[in-house]
Amino acid sequence: MIDFIVSKYNYWIYIILMMIGFYAMIGKRNLIKKIIGMNIFQTAVILFYVSIGCKKGGTLPILEHAHGHAGQVIQASSYINPLPHVLMLTAIVVMVSTLGVAIAIVIMIYLKYNTLEEDEILKAIK
Amino acid sequence: MRILNLIVVVITGAILIYGTMDMPGWGNPGSPASLHVSPRYITKTLEETATPNMVTSVLADYRAYDTLGETVVIFTAGMACILLLRKRRNGHD
Amino acid sequence: MIPAFDFVILIFVVICAIAAITVKDLLSAVMILGAYSFFMCLMWAEMGAVDVAFTEASVSAGIGTVLLIAAVYRTTRRSRD
Repeated sequence: MIDFIVSKYNYWIYIILMMIGFYAMIGKRNLIKKIIGMNIFQTAVILFYVSIGCKKGGTLPILEHAHGHAGQVIQASSYINPLPHVLMLTAIVVMVSTLGVAIAIVIMIYLKYNTLEEDEILKAIK
Repeated sequence: MRILNLIVVVITGAILIYGTMDMPGWGNPGSPASLHVSPRYITKTLEETATPNMVTSVLADYRAYDTLGETVVIFTAGMACILLLRKRRNGHD
Repeated sequence: MIPAFDFVILIFVVICAIAAITVKDLLSAVMILGAYSFFMCLMWAEMGAVDVAFTEASVSAGIGTVLLIAAVYRTTRRSRD
């Protein structure tokens, strides 16, 4: 039982983080708060992917003594899995791109309706 | 309304936590993600690309088209920001 | 990966996330989000993903915070929830 909890607790904390962001996206009325919730949600998903690549007893994915030791044998189990890191490096840049476009749209909404609260904007549209 | 949001969030979190019961433990070296594709990248990266850092060799050599697509995404986001935030000279919108 | 260090940083990250969505002042919320990003960067460095940690510290905690502060400066600082 203790082993089960120790091997799973950080997945549960990632899900708690993800749900905090989800609540901010659907429950808060301020548009900047919604953007902050989206950022927290995306960061939690990226954290989940990075933690999949973790290995007990593995070191950083950079080869030691690389040049000049051409014939050395490389053990795959002694290095951390580099594939989730590469995919999440792309995902972080896409995250900042969506953040920029969302902020541009929020600034245009503020210039047109002069408020950031969702219910006041819906009232002004009707 | 706030209660409804909380109920939706709690139900989604409970389903996701139920999904983690079948996952391999944190840091398990025998998990399926560590056994299938990545050993080839780890063992062959020095002789195929002559780069000690595996992350950069996968990012810019094995999967360079992925990085090219990422650049297209950044370009599109910049274009969208410029189109939204430029100064209007004609008065109306 | 160091389990005790990992647990402490996870607690800090959850506290920062809850504070960022409950604070009424938007500029404070944005600054707490920057602190959240740096804690997340520390966590990735602890898990061995150093390239991801560099990218997060420069792109998300740097450029993202600057963009959000610019948005708060252009719009309003007050929020009702």
